[in-house]
Amino acid sequence: MAAKSSSDSDSGGAESNETNSKWLDAHYDPMANIHTFSSCLALADLHGDGENKLVVGDLGPGGRNPHLKVLKGPAVLAESPLPSLPAAVATFLMEQHDSRTPALALASGPCVYVYKNLRPYFKFTLPQLPPNPLEQDLWNQAKEDRIDPLTLKEMLEGIREKAEIPLSEQSLRFLQLELSDMEAFVNQNKSKTIKRQTVITTMTTLKKTLADEDAISCLVLGTENKGLLVIDPEAFTVLAEMDIPSVPVFLDASGQFDVEFELAAACRNGNIYILKRDSKHPKYSIELSIQPVGLVRVHKILVVGSTQESLHGFTHKGKRLWTVQMPAAIMTMNLLEQHSRGLQAVMVALANAEVRIYHDKVLLNVIRTPDPVTSLCFGRYGREDNTLIMTTRGGGLIIKILKRTAVFVEGTGEMGPPPAQATKISVPRKTRLYVDQTLREREAGTGMHQTFQTDLYLLRIRAARAYVQALESSLTPLSATSREPLKLHAVVQGLGPTFKLILHLQNTSTTRPALGLLVCFLYNEELYALPRAFFKVPLLVPGLIYPLETFVQSLSNKGTSDIIRVLVLREGQSTPLLSAHISMPVSEGLAAA
Amino acid sequence: MGLLDRLSGLLGLKKKEVHVLCLGLDNSGKTTIINKLKPSNAQSQDIVPTIGFSIEKFKSSSLSFTVFDMSGQGRYRNLWEHYYKEGQAIIFVIDSSDKLRMVVAKEELDTLLNHPDIKHRRIPILFFANKMDLRDAVTSVKVSQLLCLENIKDKPWHICASNAIKGEGLQEGVDWLQDQIQGAKT
Ligand SMILES: Nc1nc2c(ncn2[C@@H]2O[C@H](COP(=O)(O)OP(=O)(O)OP(=O)(O)O)[C@@H](O)[C@H]2O)c(=O)[nH]1
Ligand SMILES: [Mg+2]
Repeated sequence: MAAKSSSDSDSGGAESNETNSKWLDAHYDPMANIHTFSSCLALADLHGDGENKLVVGDLGPGGRNPHLKVLKGPAVLAESPLPSLPAAVATFLMEQHDSRTPALALASGPCVYVYKNLRPYFKFTLPQLPPNPLEQDLWNQAKEDRIDPLTLKEMLEGIREKAEIPLSEQSLRFLQLELSDMEAFVNQNKSKTIKRQTVITTMTTLKKTLADEDAISCLVLGTENKGLLVIDPEAFTVLAEMDIPSVPVFLDASGQFDVEFELAAACRNGNIYILKRDSKHPKYSIELSIQPVGLVRVHKILVVGSTQESLHGFTHKGKRLWTVQMPAAIMTMNLLEQHSRGLQAVMVALANAEVRIYHDKVLLNVIRTPDPVTSLCFGRYGREDNTLIMTTRGGGLIIKILKRTAVFVEGTGEMGPPPAQATKISVPRKTRLYVDQTLREREAGTGMHQTFQTDLYLLRIRAARAYVQALESSLTPLSATSREPLKLHAVVQGLGPTFKLILHLQNTSTTRPALGLLVCFLYNEELYALPRAFFKVPLLVPGLIYPLETFVQSLSNKGTSDIIRVLVLREGQSTPLLSAHISMPVSEGLAAA
Repeated sequence: MGLLDRLSGLLGLKKKEVHVLCLGLDNSGKTTIINKLKPSNAQSQDIVPTIGFSIEKFKSSSLSFTVFDMSGQGRYRNLWEHYYKEGQAIIFVIDSSDKLRMVVAKEELDTLLNHPDIKHRRIPILFFANKMDLRDAVTSVKVSQLLCLENIKDKPWHICASNAIKGEGLQEGVDWLQDQIQGAKT
């Protein structure tokens, strides 16, 4: 059973052997007959006996014999046939006051099958979509025998080509028929109301209210209809529905549904959309321009694998951080989380029968397998925390256990110059334009430099003028006159609708106290009300900071905010000594009310 | 030594004390085995996973054992080596039904055998292929194959199939251990 299934090594180091490998070969069965993807693997303590089982949504050889399998250790514990191919499996806690055994969800076609204690518990079906009215109309006509099947076929084909709303299953099935079978099909189905149903493409879980390990989770579904749905785990109602511009194929959820969450959906159009709570539509979009083959969140970084044999790291706002080239096409990806050492890394299975482990763009470890890996997951299996489960293209099952003493060290693999240095840069050939430009630079170098310098001086003088003008009109919170050196710093406190505005006024002169100063507020009277818009400042002793407080009442309930200008004036003078602009925050008190 | 102790020692009533380390992966049944070896009035009813380690005592016909029952959980396994020096014998327990983790048990055993405090000592090792009653348990012969016990050349060792819940196979093991310890001294 512990046959040598594969080997592993750190990236740069020599080919590893048994002794310095980081992995123990726990099990290898090339004939396990498991054909699946990473999204159809899940690990959970389904029986509550402290021993994690492996759930596999198995497509069967050639995708023709779908089964739900539950494995305990190396052996299949339970198996049941599925009505259609699985899209994803997930395990989640359903009820707060329940025994802590997680439920199992399997998405297949338009349904999510939920199992508790491995017994069918609930079947959730996606809500039906409104059918195309034109299509409905055609079937109504067919019902009244006003059109023959051939016309119906032509008209439906027309709709299929042009219409925004796709055809129902009934119409699609009809269009596939031979001429001879059409009549019978129409007669059989014409009185049925046509239904349009979409299917689930991907599924993940999202914590509902608490972030704890054993808190209940919602299911998040991605559909062929370019939608994302969040499902309540107790009532199985749709909690939230979001639209995205393309069909999601990989999903990642983080945060808590009731507090703040973030969904990342990698889509068939090569874009990744990032959605937040309260946003019905994507907040950020990452344009990959090639097909994604995997999406994994490592801490705050989204790691995306693409069909162009490369791995990309993005911030959760969609900024690209890095790209690493792979030696072969990516088959599948998943997260490796070593809790004991607080390590998160991404595992990438490649078509050349390697599994590579990356922390950001640093290669930590390479595992070689006898056959390319098509699905993999890492976590607690049985009683072992750090177990790696892989299934191969030929249907094999490989289980490896990370040694207790194994440490993935960054950089140990990276010996010598980074690989990027070795790649040849294709320097373009010198063009005619380039040669001409160089010649011109050689001849007219002085002239070019002089023009540049003139422009630079002009820019500087303009900047200086603008600065002086600002000082002269006292637009700054620092007074420029040497007779009244003052400094102003304003703070806004509170959530609204009533804010407290505190001005910290300081006389920065060393000896002279400041007397006879006034403070004046300029503001939009439709938006704000101040009890005193104009008041006298007491004597300012040099050096001390005087906090001057006033309340600001926000009058608008539309969530708008504005600027309040503060002017400090000398009695009898109209030009202010200094001024400050205070951007008021949006009143949250009203928004919540 | 008190007068009473010396007297009982002279009379051969006082048993010789030996320190034994009880090692093995978590959930293999170490605590259950040791509990079963204690006199029935001292046995505890429910057994919970050991945290860190616990010290237990039991007697055989001629020896008094002090056992360090170590926790087998991954995060506590690095405690084991601190007690190697004091140990005069080792009991290594294997869950015969946990096929997947047999490699982990082997890895821990190999680490133990290569430790400087153990490597050059002729310390007896008693293996319990425990949980023999379970349906998917492998035989003790298979366990010794999987752990490559035949490679242990410089230490006396012995493997017993056991069922710690019923106490089956335990006495055979303890008798072997007693013989080994007494044989080494005389
Ligand atoms: N069926 C069966 N169960 C056993 C046997 N021996 C122990 N067990 C059970 O295995 C579980 C673990 O036993 P423990 O004695 O706590 O295991 P341990 O090796 O001390 O575990 P740690 O203290 O965590 O290292 C308990 O539920 C025991 O009842 C056995 O021979 N047969
Ligand atoms: Mg114990």
